[in-house]
Order: sequence, then structure tokens, then C-alpha cells
Amino acid sequence: MNIVTKDIRFGDEVLTLTNQRVLFWKKQEALVLSDIHIGKTAHFQQHGIAIPDTVLLKDLERLQVLIQYFSPKKLIVVGDLFHADYNQNFDVFVQWLQQFDGLEKILIRGNHDRFSTAFYESLGFHTQKQQQYNTLMFVHDAVQTQEDTFYISGHIHPGVRIQMKGRQYLKLPCFQVNSQQLILPAFSLFTGLNTRSELENVRNYAFTDDAILEF
Amino acid sequence: MTKLEQTEGYRIIHNWMADKGFSPFDFQLKAWKKYAQNYHGLVVAPTGFGKTYSMFLAVLIDYFNHPEQYKKGIKLLWISPLRSLAKDLQIAMQTAIDEIGLDWQAAVRNGDTSTAVRRKQERNMPDILLTTPETMHLLFSQKKNSRWFKNVRCVVVDEWHELLSTKRGVLTELAMVRLRSLSPKIRIWGVSATIGNLEEAKNVLIPFKDVKTTIVTSKEKKKLKIISLLPDEVELLPWAGHLGKQLAKSVLQVIYENNTTLVFTNTRNQAELWYQLLLDEDVDLAGQIAIHHGSIDAKLRNWIEDAINQNLLKVVVCTSSLDLGVDFKPVDCVVQVGSAKGIARFIQRAGRSGHSPYEVSKVYFVPTHTLELIEVSALKEAVKQRDVEAREPMVLTYDVLVQFLVTLAVGEGFNREETFAIIQQTHAFSYMTKDDFEWAMQFITKGGTTLNAYEEFHKVVYDDEKELYVVKSRRISMLHRMNIGAIVSDAMLRVRYLKGGHLGMIEEYFISKLKVGMPFVLAGRILEIVHIKDMTVFVRRSKAKKAITPSWKGGRLPLTSYLSHYLRLKLNDALQPSTRERELKFLNPLLTTQQAHSHIPKSDEFLVEKIQAKEGCHLFFYPFEGRLVNEIMASLIAYRISKLQPITFSIAMNDYGFGLLSDQDIPVTEENLKEILSKEKLMDDMIASINASEVASRKFRDIAVIAGLVVQSQPGARKTNKSLQSSSSLIFKVLEDYEPNNLLLRQAYTEVFNEQLEEARLQEAFDRISKSAVILKEAKGYTPLSFPIKVDGLRNTMSNEKLSDRIARLQKQQYKILT
Repeated sequence: MNIVTKDIRFGDEVLTLTNQRVLFWKKQEALVLSDIHIGKTAHFQQHGIAIPDTVLLKDLERLQVLIQYFSPKKLIVVGDLFHADYNQNFDVFVQWLQQFDGLEKILIRGNHDRFSTAFYESLGFHTQKQQQYNTLMFVHDAVQTQEDTFYISGHIHPGVRIQMKGRQYLKLPCFQVNSQQLILPAFSLFTGLNTRSELENVRNYAFTDDAILEF
Repeated sequence: MTKLEQTEGYRIIHNWMADKGFSPFDFQLKAWKKYAQNYHGLVVAPTGFGKTYSMFLAVLIDYFNHPEQYKKGIKLLWISPLRSLAKDLQIAMQTAIDEIGLDWQAAVRNGDTSTAVRRKQERNMPDILLTTPETMHLLFSQKKNSRWFKNVRCVVVDEWHELLSTKRGVLTELAMVRLRSLSPKIRIWGVSATIGNLEEAKNVLIPFKDVKTTIVTSKEKKKLKIISLLPDEVELLPWAGHLGKQLAKSVLQVIYENNTTLVFTNTRNQAELWYQLLLDEDVDLAGQIAIHHGSIDAKLRNWIEDAINQNLLKVVVCTSSLDLGVDFKPVDCVVQVGSAKGIARFIQRAGRSGHSPYEVSKVYFVPTHTLELIEVSALKEAVKQRDVEAREPMVLTYDVLVQFLVTLAVGEGFNREETFAIIQQTHAFSYMTKDDFEWAMQFITKGGTTLNAYEEFHKVVYDDEKELYVVKSRRISMLHRMNIGAIVSDAMLRVRYLKGGHLGMIEEYFISKLKVGMPFVLAGRILEIVHIKDMTVFVRRSKAKKAITPSWKGGRLPLTSYLSHYLRLKLNDALQPSTRERELKFLNPLLTTQQAHSHIPKSDEFLVEKIQAKEGCHLFFYPFEGRLVNEIMASLIAYRISKLQPITFSIAMNDYGFGLLSDQDIPVTEENLKEILSKEKLMDDMIASINASEVASRKFRDIAVIAGLVVQSQPGARKTNKSLQSSSSLIFKVLEDYEPNNLLLRQAYTEVFNEQLEEARLQEAFDRISKSAVILKEAKGYTPLSFPIKVDGLRNTMSNEKLSDRIARLQKQQYKILT
């Protein structure tokens, strides 16, 4: 796995964007990601749609490599940790999670995260509706911004559609950033892309397997 | 054996017809006789000659002669591709039944039938059931459905030519073998228009070796008159274009000379524009003009169809949505705007006018650009020869197989061995191996072949007690029933007025580009969006004068190979037109220009034009093979030239030819063109020149929906299955990564080769080119042949670079972000 990084200034902080769908906040040693949707493949299977669990294993493997690479103290998931109701994928995840017992884990609840606080606590996740560190506010979906606060969110699975010469198009996942908001791409590879942007004056940091590009 | 004419049944029917002043056509009599002799078969006759009666009355005669063989429940199943056909047929049949004094009941069952009526039917099935292939499969998915089909004596598939080359045809084939397994004495008949491969069509519908089959063809031929509308001077017609608005006045004149006119266009977008064009030209048409296409609400369409029949409308602008369907008595004239792209389609459209048997069908052709006139001339020739396209049946459509197996499991459950034997009887799956079938079983029971990867997958399970494969989950049954069928549409939103009243459907893609308040056109009205909710766009009338017309995807059909053959022949003698070739004579000045500046290819020549222009060096090729094949040829040729020296091309194509544009000189000579156009290593080069996986991923969309891998959200539906939403391209990627042996993937590639790349046609084209003399002409400016390609050919870029290379190139380019 080729990890490409790019540091950007967001509010008063310096954040490291990666081409692997996570963000690293060095000052707080926090790894931030969104929309991992654990349980999605089994949920599809339960409804008669054959999507292999290999998809999930691949997501977990990628996350494992990233945690080892950045060795963070904190893991912040800004929502949609789980996709739907409890299923066998959860057990796989819980088992996998044991290797990171020492890691502080924070979950900002997303629209898919409907379980009891006790359940998340049992996995070692502190849940919050939103969480502020210094001037950075972690939320699931973009909210009304307040002065001097900078928002990091997920939820929309941002992507960017780029028109090249000769009517060619490219669609890539991206981080969307403006002066006060930063939207993370979905971490799971089994997610679609939303190319409609709600943000104004947005910069898109799109990425591929070996590059980060700014549009 | 008694002659049919001496039987009681014949006498009853004959008397009933005589009372009405009719006597049977020869082909009807022949069909009745063959039916009485226990034949299965195909009836081929032009519309308006009573194809329906040939089969419907055959069954009645048989009943009167052998009433003891008929039991309670459905006796005749009538399957037609169109819902709208059923209503009128049912009325005609019931009227006949009542007049004859029989106690039978004919009833319709399709997607429009209310739940109450459906429940009533399930308790007490009518004697004749008129339905669609999809509804047949829905019936198969009901509990204890086989009791309804045990006593069916005859099944008729109407408009079989329309179903034949589609996956709906495969659904129909599967229905036939299942019906025969439930009612072994059933007789299967198809009704078809003339197509190039009738014998094959018959054998696909009736694939059984142990029955007698026949084709009954009517001698009656429909007379057809083709008139092209020409402007006063050739200069008035543009060299390129697709609207043909210069001729709106002439069309108006035609409309007033006739009682009711249907104006056919090729796309919904064109229909909306022509509706406005005609209204702008003459405001008095308001109230007498209507617009009809596939995206207009069904209720509105029904109303329009009724209004045509009641003679309330002067003109209806329409698309292929009116190609088929009920006969409109008042229609006496048809106008075709732009190329009809195929001979069969053109004849079918023409047949919409002058409907009673001996009337002449009149069709006016409106060229949208000059060269289309050659096409009319080609069409006339083809119609004269009655040389109509063949329709190729589809085979090994694993998506339909998977769907059918689940349908059976949702219904009564199925036995593995028996079902394999039944399915293998169909033409579509006659080459299916045991391994293929086992894969499908694995797919619906285990999810895939990767061990332990599908632990929560229990779609179809084996029931030890019943010893059958069944679906136990009610939710899966429900999702599957919603998904039955083989018609896959783009994500569509329903459009309705804020105060109520549905207008039609519109692609999500188009709506996503509009903002609230922006005016757009649908169903001939200028509307603006108020808000969007539950897959529904709420609109109100807009006061704006100008508005955007949506362009629906699809609908742009390529020229068929039959028509392109005639096109090349006509071009061959275009310079010396016979006195009766009005179109070619009209075109003469233009063709002379072409000949003077370049060349007109004879039928044994292949023309290549090289033109140096401001934007770079153009190379134009004219295979006349239809847009899709031309596109493939273009990237293939571009690939071969790029092997001579590194070069990047922009590609443009239309139905006639394609052009390559480069910023550097393109190094071709008549000598190396021979190499470049060679038929050697054709498939290898083709695979190298296109990004097959990208094309296959697009093809996979329909397959994923039919096989139940993608859940379609129904337009207007309150509840969307949001947690089950995923795109087919995402699933394609997942399967390519983790289940490369999945047969649905293989099917996507096969479909690309057969349909998109039209492998056989491409091969043929290169064969022909290799036998032709290649002529390279350098022209000073654009020629009449090249201009339309340059101006409005569809553009593309030849690229077989990797994503990272494309990105690198992108960074040097000017680009635009689309939101």
C-alpha cells in the first residue's frame, strides 16, 4: 500500500491528508476517518445480494496498516462506523479491534449509528454527538458554522468529476475543504461517490493509488 | 379426418363472421387448419389484417369441436410485449365471445391491474388471460401457481419479433418451457411482423423436437408510399444537423392535407422540440396537437391514444412509443423526421397510417441534413426488395437464468435436476453446461465460490422436508418480486404538479443539473421545479418563454447493417441517378461538389480523406457501418496508426463514418493504409485499442439489476431501500477483485463483444474493406461527406493509457470541475 500525504493548513491547525482516505492530526496524534460502514456486506447478504466479506477484510487490513504507519494515540471516527443492524461482520470487527486496546477511540454518531451507548462502550468507543479539540469541531454531517470554529465531518462520501479534453471524464474520491469545513471521503471501498458539492469556495483534494491532486 | 370446413366449430365462427359481413383471409383459414391439426407455429402478417383473429378464433373453433378437452380455468394465454395492447384486445375478444354466445371470460392482468382484481383472478382465473412476459414470471413467483396453468390449451405470443432479440424474449422462452412442463398438450403460437429470420424466430419460440411446427404467412402485402419533403433549393438544407426545422412549414402543409398525422422523431428530446416548432409555426394547432413519448405519464399517454381514436387530434408528435400498439383508425399519414435507422422500423412506422387492409400507408420523410436523402433513396430500394433485418435471439443470459431460478424458489420451490432439464430445452440455454448451471445454483444458495465469504447469505435454501429449493425470507421474496423483469431504466424521477396530476418521468441525471425555479420542458409544457421529495419532482407552470429540453439517454440507435448495405449501393450510382430517383437528383449539386473536391466511393472502393485544417490534421473514413461499429473502428484505426508513431487523436463519428484529428501530421499513404485497414489480428488489436473493462462495467448495469445485485428504487416510491443502495460499477469492481469466475462478469464481456462491438459485423466490414480499393484523397476544405462528422459527430478520445498517465496528462491540461 502506497501512502501519499499532503499537509494543509485548516484554521489554526496543520492536518495531513492521505491518499488512503484518512487524515492525520499530528499535534494531537489523532487518526481521523469517516464512513467505514462495518456490516454492510453481511447486510447485503442478508437481503439476498451476494457481496463477499472480503470487501470488509480489505478495509480492516488497510486501517491496520494505517494505524501502524501513523501510530496515533487517538482514533476518531466521524460517523457511520456501522452500516445497519448487528450481524456477523461485527464479530469480525470486534476481534480485529482487540489488537488496538491501548488506542483511545472516539465515535461521533452518524445516521447509521443507532446502537446504545453501552454497546459502543463495550467496544471501547466513547460516543459523542460532536466533539471539540481546540478550534476543531468533529461532527458527522456538515452543520451551520460558527465563527472561529472549524468543522471536520463525513457523511456525504465526497467525490469530484473532472472533465478533461475530448469529452473525457474522471471521477475520483476526495477531501473537500473550504475556510471553515473539511469533509472526509468515505473510508470503506464499498461506497459510492457523491459529486454534488454543497460547500462554497471549496478545494477538492482528490487522490489515486499513488497521488494526491488539488482541484 | 374431417375437413375443418365441415366441423361444427368452423360453422359457428364462419356464421358469426358472415353476420358481420366478413370472410376470413387465406392465412387465417390456414392458421385455423394447422391449429386444428395440432401444429405449433408462427403467423406472419402485416398489421391491420386480423392477426389476432387468426389465433383467437382458432382456439374457439377447437373448443367448439372438442369441448370435452377443456377444463375450468385459463384456456388461452395471450402474451404481448405492450400493456397498452391488452386493453383493446380484451374488448375485441370479449365482444366476439359474447356475440357468439359463449360463456367465456377474457381478462387482462399486468402491472396496471389493481390488487383487488388480481386477488379475484387468483381465486377464479378467467378463460382467456392477456398478459406480459413480466407478469407471467410474477405469476410463477406466487405460491401454488402451477394449478393455474394445468389446463392451458394454447399460448400465443403477440409481436414476437419485438421480444425476440431482447432479454424479455428470454423470459418468454423460459415461460414457454415451464408452461409446457405443466400442461404437456399446450400448443404454442407466435404472431410476428416480417423479419429476416422467421425460421429461427419460430424455432426459438418453439424449441421442441417432438412437435409439428409451421409458419403461416399472409399473401396480403401492405402498399407503402414514401415521399421525401424537399426544400426549394439544395442550399436550404444544412450539411449537418439533426432537427430539420427548415421544413416545419412543409410538414404543417402535410398535416392540413390529411386527417390525422403522426410525426415520428428518433429521440424524446427531438419530439419535445418538434412539438414546440409546430406550435410556433401555427398557434391554431393548440388543442389539436399532442406529444407522446416514453417519459410521459401513462395516464396522459392513454388519454392521447383515446383522443386519436376519437378523431380529436390533428397531429401527434411521438417517438418509438407509438411504433407498436393499438391501431388508430383516423391516422392516415405518417411523417418521419430524420433517419429511421432501420428498414423494419421504418416499415413498422409507415404501417401506422392507412390501417385498414387495402389502404396505402403514406409516409413523408423529413431530412435533417442533406446526406440523409441518400438514406431515403436506400430505404426505398430496401422496401422494394422487402429486405428486412434479422433479429438475433439472445443466448446464455445468466442474469435472466439467476432471476428465473429465484422466481421459482420464491414461488413453489424447485427440484434441481428437473429444472436443469427444463431450462436446457430453451434456445437461450441449450448450450448451458452443467457447470454453468451449478455455478448459478452456487450463486443463489451460497453467494459465490469464495469460501466463508458469504456467511450471512441464505437467499435460496434447500428445504429437506419438501426436497425443494425455496426462498424462506419474506423480505427477500418481496424484494425479488419487485425486481422481476428485464427492462432496466435509468434512475428516473416522477414529475408531478404541486396541486396533483402526474406529467411523466425524467432522468435523475438531468434533474441534478437543474436548480429550483429553472424552467424546463416536459410533455410540451414549460415547467419549473418547486422541490424534490421521495423520488418525485414537484413542479409548477413556468412563465418563461425559453426553457431547456431534457435529453434522455439512450434512444440514439445506430444504422442497421441492412440499411447501410443499401446506402453504399445508392452512393455507388449517386452521380447518375435514374429519372425516378427524386432524392438523388435533388442531391446532384452536392454530390458533384463531393466528386470535384474529393471522390464518391463506388461500392467496391473505400474512401479516406485527409484534410489539413486550422485545428490540425483530419483523417476521415467512410465505412457506413452505423455509429457503434464506426466508433470501434475509429479507436482501432487510431491504435494502429499510433503504433507507427506516438500520436494522440480526438475521434468523432456518425452513422456514415468517423474522423481522427491530431495536432500533428498523420503519416498515411495509400500503401500503409492497406496495412492499417487490414483484417489481420483484428480482435487482438481491437481489445488493445479499447478499455474493455470500462465498457463491460457499463454493460454490467443491466445485468446487475436483472440478477438482483442492485436494488432499483421505484420512481415515486415512498420507501427507498437506502441501506441496500450501491452502484453496479462498484459491484463490478468488487466481483472483478474477489469473484473473477462470476458468470455475470463473463456475460458483461460477451455482451460487449456481441452488441457494443458487434464483433461479427466488424469482421464483415473489414472483410469487405480488404476486398475494396483504398482511395486516399487530400482535400483543401471540408467535403459534404466529412462536414457532418466534423460538426456534430459524437466525440471521444483514443486512450489506452493508465489512470496515472491520464492524471499526469490532466495536470498539464486545462480542466473543468463539474458539480
